[in-house]
Amino acid sequence: MKFIFQFLGLFLSTVCVAVLVSCGNQSPDTSSTPASSPTSQNASTGQMAHSGHAKININTAILSELDKLEAKLGIPALSHKIQASRPYGKTEELVSKNLLTQEQFDQIKDMVTVEDVVLTGEAKDVDYMTKLGLMKGHLLVAGELLKIQKPKEAEPHIGHPVEEIYADVEEQFRERNVKDFKNELIALQDLVKAGAKDSAKVNADFKASMQAVDGAIAGIPAAQRQSPRFVLQVINGLLDTAVAEYTASIADGKISQIIEYQDSRGFVVYANDLYQDIASQVAQKSESDKVIRENMANLIKVWPSVTPPKTPVMSPEEVSQLVKSIGLSSQKVIQSM
Amino acid sequence: MSNRHASEKAKLWNRRQLLQAGFVGLGVTGVAIALEYARRLNFSPTVKVPLPPTEAAIAEGFTPFTFLREFDYGTVTQENGRTVREFRVEARTSPIRLNSATTFITWNLNGRVPGPTFRAKEGDRIRVIFFNKAGHSHSLHFHGIHEAKMDGVKPVRNGAVFIYEFDAEPYGVHLYHCHVAPVTRHINKGLYGMFIVDPPKPRPPADEIVLIMAGYDVNNDKKNELYAFNGLPDYYMHHPIPIQQNQLIRLYVLNMIEFDVAATFHLHANLFQVYPTGRTLEPQEETDVITMGTAERHILEFSYRYPGKYMFHPHQDEMAEAGCMGLFDVVEKA
Repeated sequence: MKFIFQFLGLFLSTVCVAVLVSCGNQSPDTSSTPASSPTSQNASTGQMAHSGHAKININTAILSELDKLEAKLGIPALSHKIQASRPYGKTEELVSKNLLTQEQFDQIKDMVTVEDVVLTGEAKDVDYMTKLGLMKGHLLVAGELLKIQKPKEAEPHIGHPVEEIYADVEEQFRERNVKDFKNELIALQDLVKAGAKDSAKVNADFKASMQAVDGAIAGIPAAQRQSPRFVLQVINGLLDTAVAEYTASIADGKISQIIEYQDSRGFVVYANDLYQDIASQVAQKSESDKVIRENMANLIKVWPSVTPPKTPVMSPEEVSQLVKSIGLSSQKVIQSM
Repeated sequence: MSNRHASEKAKLWNRRQLLQAGFVGLGVTGVAIALEYARRLNFSPTVKVPLPPTEAAIAEGFTPFTFLREFDYGTVTQENGRTVREFRVEARTSPIRLNSATTFITWNLNGRVPGPTFRAKEGDRIRVIFFNKAGHSHSLHFHGIHEAKMDGVKPVRNGAVFIYEFDAEPYGVHLYHCHVAPVTRHINKGLYGMFIVDPPKPRPPADEIVLIMAGYDVNNDKKNELYAFNGLPDYYMHHPIPIQQNQLIRLYVLNMIEFDVAATFHLHANLFQVYPTGRTLEPQEETDVITMGTAERHILEFSYRYPGKYMFHPHQDEMAEAGCMGLFDVVEKA
């Protein structure tokens, strides 16, 4: 009987984690650095203490936030490196993971944290819009499936927005003057769960849910929603999640988890829609538009229809490559604005 | 038994444990695990743990044998005079071959189903650094006592990290699992594991074994087509678990089966002592079938008088025959 984890790299990284977690008292972390040094003491108490305002959580921050550290220290590509070296148990790991020297760390240590933070400013808006974008992607595929009379397949995509995402954004609705729409989503879910027998009612409820999400998106000021800098960050958030979902849909070279295939389709379709709206603005300012447009066109072909193709159009690695390339080009645009 | 004898055996274990855990060529981890074993054996010089067959484990990386007697005590530090155990886990997706016909895409921790068995002493500080790299939003919800903000019902989005921190209390057998809805699917696809909190005064020496029952809904019809102990259907039927005759066996048993309301655990040709939820130091009951709803778990203790092979399985025989069945191979005392 086989129990093979197919990717050697994955296995090796598992081992790396296993080394970290299973060493007990033998851990290199504790033996090489004095655990009782004043800094690590402070870190551990700081973790439980109340945090100052507007700190950057290095475990969760988006690139544009991390760019503040990059700018302050003048280290090229630091934001990407910080993202790639996650997770961090303590902020001091920026030093022990060789991203910063102790000196550099001392300059920014008051700006960073590993605690759950309340986002503010642009980061907050990007996070909010990305989550609504994920909802939108789910609903887009749900709509396609309802249209071809597959309510059973549509159900998880109607469920995900309310089950996985809603709780994360609802706190912001009041301050953004957005009407609560949990009940609309649940009503639609119940209707579809019950077999979606009354198609007129399903259509009406579906439309109401979609409009509610659009309404919530409109909680972001229009100027921002049309800013390439802002929208590109949202697009990349959506595409990163799409890659992970697409990867999770394929086993043995076949698309075996239809739900995850469809999830990723919805996110990419919506990301593509978003890009079309800002493409001409990007084109005016940057060569990157051509690269993004081209990669986007290739990417969208991976999901030819809401029902998966017999064999995957591209491997998860190829999809990941395309998304990385879009990310790099976007970064150039974002930093230039 | 003399101390010298015991330490010789511990040494033997270092080497053999490497083989058993399947980490040949990946020595560092193996040594770390072996050290943990040796440490435990020093505490309990009378416990003899027969070795499971090695070939299968070596060739295939992780097997259910890996999960059987592997306890993750975390990276230990002292902070403000307290023992802090830090665990780093990543939510991932990876395929597992459940049988010759079925490959199943799991959502898991660190590439394995079930996730690591975290273990601590009552009162230790637990810090779990949870990195979600699995696409969907996920979370880790621990059973036990902790603050609301550490309850792990809030989804952690793909690419983000959340650090759960709480005290290990109360002592007993607990569990953790993803609490993002639909929870049935998130558990069924593999995001769960055991969390053992030892009482301040350790339990008596025994051969300690983890058995987690789970189901697999491979076609998303909200029914399980396959069942398993420790991740793989029928594994312990084909690879019986060797245990020593007349030795105290301590089972940490958890029912993690979704979609079926309850399952029993039944042991052949024997009776076991029950420590409900591991919350007592004295057994509360003796039986050979115990019923557990989803997420219920107990400590069961027994020893075998006669050598030979003995089955264990839920007495919902359909589950047993769909993969949730195994054998103890009781070997004679040398």
